[in-house]
Amino acid sequence: MSGRRELLVFAAAAILFACGPLISPFIHVDLSILSEVLVTTLAVLSVNLLLGYTGLPAFGNAAYFGLGTYGAALSVTYLHVDLITAILVGALAAVIGALILGPFLLRRRGIYFGLLSIAFGQVFYFIAYRYTDVTGGEDGMQFPRPPFGPGIAHVAINGLQFYYLAFVVFLIAMIAFHVIVRSPFGRTLIAIRQNEARVRYLGLDTDRFIFVALLISALMAGISGAMFGLLINFAYPLELDWHQSGNFVLMMILGGAGTIWGSVVGALIYVIGKDIISTITPLWQIFLGALFVACVLGFPRGIVGSLGSLVRRGAPVSEDVSANEAFDANAPVEVGRGV
Amino acid sequence: MSDAILLEATDITKTFGGVRAVDSVSIAVREGMIHALIGPNGAGKTTFFNAISGFTFPDAGRVTFRGTDVTRTLNWRRIVMGMGRTFQTPSVFPELTVDENIRLGVRAHAKQAFRLRSPSGEAAAAVDARVDELLGFVNLTAQRERLVAELAHGSQRLCEIAMSLSTEPVLVLLDEPMAGLAEAETERIVGVIRDLRERLGLTVFFVEHNMRVVLSLAEHITVLDRGKLLAEGSPQEIAANDEVRRAYLGHEVLARG
Repeated sequence: MSGRRELLVFAAAAILFACGPLISPFIHVDLSILSEVLVTTLAVLSVNLLLGYTGLPAFGNAAYFGLGTYGAALSVTYLHVDLITAILVGALAAVIGALILGPFLLRRRGIYFGLLSIAFGQVFYFIAYRYTDVTGGEDGMQFPRPPFGPGIAHVAINGLQFYYLAFVVFLIAMIAFHVIVRSPFGRTLIAIRQNEARVRYLGLDTDRFIFVALLISALMAGISGAMFGLLINFAYPLELDWHQSGNFVLMMILGGAGTIWGSVVGALIYVIGKDIISTITPLWQIFLGALFVACVLGFPRGIVGSLGSLVRRGAPVSEDVSANEAFDANAPVEVGRGV
Repeated sequence: MSDAILLEATDITKTFGGVRAVDSVSIAVREGMIHALIGPNGAGKTTFFNAISGFTFPDAGRVTFRGTDVTRTLNWRRIVMGMGRTFQTPSVFPELTVDENIRLGVRAHAKQAFRLRSPSGEAAAAVDARVDELLGFVNLTAQRERLVAELAHGSQRLCEIAMSLSTEPVLVLLDEPMAGLAEAETERIVGVIRDLRERLGLTVFFVEHNMRVVLSLAEHITVLDRGKLLAEGSPQEIAANDEVRRAYLGHEVLARG
């Protein structure tokens, strides 16, 4: 995508989401569901950075997401912190989690990285599940939504205000993600996905790149998890479970691995689809499962990735593909390359 | 050309299960030389190559590079120290353009790979100039915007050689640079390898099967057979060595060479 077109898409999406509260009654989707879309997008991006861009099977990102949720829940419950602090505590908990797990995860690549990620995630799940006195165990923990910030004590924020907070965080995350994947650092991550041995034989310590990518990923998942907890005012162990990691991967593949907008579209379809179908039938997962299978078989590059290919095919073929175009971080990739 | 030893491997041994792929092999690569490593299939050439380039570590023995013990040094550090390497199957980034493939290496060498902002001004101009220079060296300037996956095999190999040069090595290790190439492409690569030494003053150590190429290009040849060092010497000496003939060459090939 050219810079200008990308800016247009970004502006259009920003305007659309800014009008979310106006649109939601017309499409019969609750505003809190739209907040969930914005918040979930961050978690999908966190998987995308590792899996879609760097080629690492991030099958355990629910660990960081859940650490974010519990970080926020515990700090609100026991320390009575405000909303912003709760989000920061959640993000910090996730990053600390990644700092601890990172050195172990870095020792493996490919499917073993994925299995280790799942295993470590389950450790956190069982801690939350068993440590009933503090976390409420299986029942989870309910907590009130705290006031917004340190200077604005006891200003409770309503659903609309929370939506716009999520919107601002979403915008910042999207811009930051864009900057990261377009930077020399991000390009090196893409190169690692394609051929890690060659990156090492260019004199680069790929472990260092992957570790930083993991920390960024955990940070995004942690913010996502903290905000999700604050949105529903609840933390429960299943948020840490590997099923949850699977959901993030599913959303990423649905939208398109290795594309920024794929993560938005994936989260949008999954969260809203789940909301709509689950009111019709409790078997909503069957429909999402079918959609996933159709996606993998029919358009493995995901919705955004496949649309991107269509647009490119339709456009007049240019002799002069710019280096940036060919190195387009948004270019669709097949998951698993370089694994 | 000097007599200084750039890379020295002493008593390198590598076993896989019960198989001694490389058995106590020692070599010395002298600065400014084009040095070839030959041997029949399964002689342990690539295993040996992997051990000296840090792709794997040897079970026993010692590798020194530029006077420093690098036996257990990680491969990427060896590159920083001045080694460059290519692989039997061109190791490239297939979904990136030729330009970007080479640019990644130039950026890595300029310590820009970890940055969140693309460099501008002089730093960017220096990178651009170096990329242009390397593209010119391997004669791929016209294909710079093509995806590497779309290139012919020989051009991919040239791209890989340019990538291995992008980190400014003093020693270039080439693993079977002519494998799978047509005659014309082989000539191109032979020309480039000569240029590595003549124009850039680099030391070249390469594994090769194509005997005609080895005898015409190399100044020093090491022969491996079944994991052991069989012979060593100038192309003439190797061509005249009976043991080498028996193990590997065959009279006919030598006569043509």
